[in-house]
Amino acid sequence: MNKPLFQIVFENGEVFNGGDYQNTKWLEIPTDKKIRSLFYLLPTGDYLGLGGYERFYHFIECTEDLNGDKAGLKNLEFAYIIGQKKEYTTIYQIDLKNGCINLKNIKNDEKFVTKLNPDGWR
Amino acid sequence: MATALLVRVNYVDATHEYVGHNADYITMDLTNDYLIWSKLLADLMTHEPTSDELNAAAEIIDPAVNVIVAKCLLMDYSHNVGGSYYTHLVKGMSENEKYVFCFSFDGPTATEPQLEAWDSSAHTTYVKNVLGAGYPANSMLKGICTTISLPGDGWPGIALAGGSNVILLNNGSGALTVAKDLYANLKIVIPAAYVTPAAETFVKTIRYTYF
Repeated sequence: MNKPLFQIVFENGEVFNGGDYQNTKWLEIPTDKKIRSLFYLLPTGDYLGLGGYERFYHFIECTEDLNGDKAGLKNLEFAYIIGQKKEYTTIYQIDLKNGCINLKNIKNDEKFVTKLNPDGWR
Repeated sequence: MATALLVRVNYVDATHEYVGHNADYITMDLTNDYLIWSKLLADLMTHEPTSDELNAAAEIIDPAVNVIVAKCLLMDYSHNVGGSYYTHLVKGMSENEKYVFCFSFDGPTATEPQLEAWDSSAHTTYVKNVLGAGYPANSMLKGICTTISLPGDGWPGIALAGGSNVILLNNGSGALTVAKDLYANLKIVIPAAYVTPAAETFVKTIRYTYF
């Protein structure tokens, strides 16, 4: 059985399961419930566990070539799972081609954060 | 579901946006269709151009002035638009026109979509002559976002190469909150007396995000 891309545990103990890379179900996460912890599936099959954040964000970065040997294919490049506290935002950038994870902490007012589509925060 | 992208080219009237003028555009089958930049290649060819035909129709380096490659044509593998034609001239390419290359997203994105150019589908190098031979600022491929406004006469554009010299397709306004058509214009400018004649392929790619 395929593992869900992520699993959300809300403060009230309820659980929400994500989908897969093509249909992540991120925007289906209820916005009226506070997230206690988030477990995100890594290419290794293990889960990255995050907790203690005020809110979370997630997106997939892909490329689509207009020509060449991979033209027309949706190439999955990175998954981003982001947790935000009062002043700092923690970004986990997961390279979907080699499984490497880059971790970065930035201030909440940095352009990367402020330019994100606000509809994606949960 | 993940936000999807369709790439369209205007082959009728570059003053017409896609909405309301769908018939002015051909949606590219990215697996089989491709763009050709050429000086002389004919519009409405009834076969796929051969290498001989492409080379015979190529733009020539000028010893004294920069040359803008005269035409961009869509090679339409299905050849089922307006007859049985394999080539369609892209209208407005390199000109002061807004609705030339259209990138249609059917849903929101987390960040702003961007257009990039690379040597190959590996997206790791940009050492081909057309992409500046390792110096992105020297790339002959110029692009400009026209989602909001006309590019202007003689628009200089951004030299496209690699992951830094890119076009933000929403005019720098950020992520898409809803489905939207974004536009760009492109051209290839060959520097005067460029020392390395070549007929090169390069990969144009759209980098975008979804939830």
